Amino acid sequence: MVTAPGVTPAVTRTARHGAGVRRASPQLVATALVVATLFALPGGYVVWRAATAGGDRLDLIASHRTLDPLWRTVQLGVLVSATTAVIGTCLAWLTTRTDLPMRRFWRIVVPLPLVYPSFVGAAAFLSGLTPGGIVHDLATAIGVDLNLRLHGLTGAWLVLTLFTYPYVYLPVAARLSALPNSLEENARLLGDRPMQVFRRVVVPQVRTSIAAGSLLVFLYTVSDFGAVHLMRFETLTQTIYRTRLFDQDRSFTLAVLLLGLALVVVSAERTIARRGARAELIGDRPALRVPLRRWSMPSLAVCSLVIGLALVAPAVSLADWGLFGWFRQRRGVSALRLDAGDLIGPTWNTVWISVVAAVVTVVAVFPVAYLLARHRGRLGGAINGAVVAGFAIPGLVVALSLIFWTLHASPFEFLIGTLPVLVFAYVVHFGAQAVGTSQVAVSAVPRRMGDAARLLGAGRLRRLTTVELPLMAPGLAAGGGLVMLSTMKELPATLLISPIGFRTLAVEIWNTYEASYLPETAILALILVAISALLTWLLVVRHSIHLS
Amino acid sequence: MRNRPTTRPVRRRSAVSRAVLPLLGTLLVSITVLATAGCGTDTDNRSLTVYSGRSEKLVGPIFEEFEAVTGVDLQVRYGSSNDLALALSAEGDKTRADVFLSRSPGPAGYLDDLGMLAPIDAAVLDRVDPDDRSPDGTWVGFAGRARVLVYNIDEVPVAELPASVFDLTGPGYRDMVAIPGSNSSFQDWFTVFRLRNGDGVATKWLDDMVANGARFYPKNRAIVEAVGRGEIRFGLVNHYYNHQEVAANGDAQRSANHGFAEGDDGGLMIIATAAILEQSDDKKTANQLLAHLLSNSQQRYLTDTVFEYPLAIGVEAADTLPPAPVDTVGAVELDDVAAEFTQTISIIEASGVLDQ
Repeated sequence: MVTAPGVTPAVTRTARHGAGVRRASPQLVATALVVATLFALPGGYVVWRAATAGGDRLDLIASHRTLDPLWRTVQLGVLVSATTAVIGTCLAWLTTRTDLPMRRFWRIVVPLPLVYPSFVGAAAFLSGLTPGGIVHDLATAIGVDLNLRLHGLTGAWLVLTLFTYPYVYLPVAARLSALPNSLEENARLLGDRPMQVFRRVVVPQVRTSIAAGSLLVFLYTVSDFGAVHLMRFETLTQTIYRTRLFDQDRSFTLAVLLLGLALVVVSAERTIARRGARAELIGDRPALRVPLRRWSMPSLAVCSLVIGLALVAPAVSLADWGLFGWFRQRRGVSALRLDAGDLIGPTWNTVWISVVAAVVTVVAVFPVAYLLARHRGRLGGAINGAVVAGFAIPGLVVALSLIFWTLHASPFEFLIGTLPVLVFAYVVHFGAQAVGTSQVAVSAVPRRMGDAARLLGAGRLRRLTTVELPLMAPGLAAGGGLVMLSTMKELPATLLISPIGFRTLAVEIWNTYEASYLPETAILALILVAISALLTWLLVVRHSIHLS
Repeated sequence: MRNRPTTRPVRRRSAVSRAVLPLLGTLLVSITVLATAGCGTDTDNRSLTVYSGRSEKLVGPIFEEFEAVTGVDLQVRYGSSNDLALALSAEGDKTRADVFLSRSPGPAGYLDDLGMLAPIDAAVLDRVDPDDRSPDGTWVGFAGRARVLVYNIDEVPVAELPASVFDLTGPGYRDMVAIPGSNSSFQDWFTVFRLRNGDGVATKWLDDMVANGARFYPKNRAIVEAVGRGEIRFGLVNHYYNHQEVAANGDAQRSANHGFAEGDDGGLMIIATAAILEQSDDKKTANQLLAHLLSNSQQRYLTDTVFEYPLAIGVEAADTLPPAPVDTVGAVELDDVAAEFTQTISIIEASGVLDQ
């Protein structure tokens, strides 16, 4: 266990996090409980619907019609989280801690694949590889008969890995850039090679961030609908969607199963995080930079490969559709059915609603993160579960549950169809993405700083605003950034509970896709990617990772 | 080293304020927007709330025309028919929706079972054939899509096209037919197919298709595209996708629709439906909107521009469409919509077609 903070030398301060030493204040516990209750609303609705459903539920759960999709869901979730953990961590290290050429550029583009709505990304991949698609045609042009068809587990794994690794990358990069360099310097001085330093010193210090990120990837994967649908891989969400109208007993029972799976994984992650070493330290000088030397080119190749597949390839495929539409217009076959009005309003709405959702989310989960990071206990675990599980519930179900609660079980009936309910939906659905990184951010602030400030007579609020929050800012910004990117592409809840006529880019993308105006879909999707790149740069990258 | 951290927060603070201030600014602006957003509704004019399971690009012009002619303000929420039906059932007696448009009779039937639909005026119902509306007059069809066989025109000679959907289980079609097993139109068709032929025949047909190497695609459009580029020769789809692809690609689109012989179980008309919610406080205007959907001019728009089959009596389908199938989904009475679809889904799952 831990010795008193502030006494031990830096090296041994990577101790099991020194929580439990102080009791949480009742106000903090009460606030966290209120937040958790609000987050538990969708889960509560799902459980209630499943509990009141007819039919033999045990029979249903034990049947192969349930177990097969469950097994596929677990397989996919584990595969994707493991792969993204490796890719995300490597990219984070390369872009924050090495002399990788063009680091600024990589830091902006590496988080961006997160912004593709998974059905758009998967569709772009599929159409690029089939005859008539740009990849296939280019291969044919150079004499290769490309007969690559993506589907099933492989297809879903590839697409989801490429579009979700930023969940690991962002928190790990934020953490890495705030790590003290003393440990690494010492290891280097003692003769460790860069790879050994990475393995023995760096990884243990970012393990909690990796675990938090991989958890998000797992939850995203098991609740994804778009990619698995297009890749024809029958997971639990697929069955839930297929039976949602005409076999609701089954649909809700499977949703509870999904929720249960999420909770099991959440508590597993929490166990790892609690056991893991956590550096209660923050960098006091710009982080150590490792010279890559002869590894420079291979590293560059790895970054290019990932970005090429995850960002450029889908963008090229989309641009191909878009250009196709433009040429079609030039040939006079049919005009592009998009005008400025279809673009400006939705773009602005997308920007401000996602920023608002991100800020509200970070503020809402802060008490929870603070409680979790500073005080251990069962209550914390339960609260964490309530917040994180909201991500495993499909967006459609979140929307239905909020319609139900707002209209039939709250005094806020008048709020239905207004923006506060929509923002609330985003917050409970995506809060999980901020709680992990916020927790890491909170626990990264050395207690001795707060203690010192207290000795100097600073009150609780002043300590928080002048000492702790500034140190937490990069982590909080990273969490907010994830929520922002997710909100920008959210569709099912936006369609059902936004004020009528409130259009976001995701809504417009869906609209044109439904009407099979693929060139228009592609142009809108590219705009969404560009806007996200800009916002990621302005609000996340500049602050979460200091550029030297 | 000890004393360095004290300088650190001071330097960082500017970073924080740079991050937080714009965010707070945006927050304030948006709260203002939120506060003013609710004040725009004008209560003097008549207004209807419509939940539309048909896409805005397709039915938007119809709504605009209605607003222009009647001065009624339409508030339209677009979404997938199934999701909107679920939202309506969650809203229950507190829904603000007046009219619900659905891609197929299923979601409307679901709401009818919940007692959420009001009877439609006889004058509106009489615009269509009795087969194209619900027996108790709670929903009315306004446009039809035909189930057809799409084929690649370079690889399949017209003379060799099959007369019946039952031909597709033969050796001549091995590994050549695409089936959208999880698609709701396919499930509509299969439900009727089942009720006409019995579960035994229907299950055997699907099992034979799987044994014959039928390929599963999640969407009709994916099939039409795959057939167009020669990836697979045939596909069971809705007719209008091919018309849209041809409109977009011209002669480059190498696929065409084939209707099975008249009366064959492979052909079916799936109708988009309109319904009025029981909770609507302006059913008169709602009926007016439905009458507008079924007016000659709007029915012509639906068939000439959107390539669907008009359902109003006396309006002819566009020349380019294949002959309309005789049977419609609405003509088959489903005593228990949910039970029938559950049965359909379980047969489709058991066949293994979704894993093909």
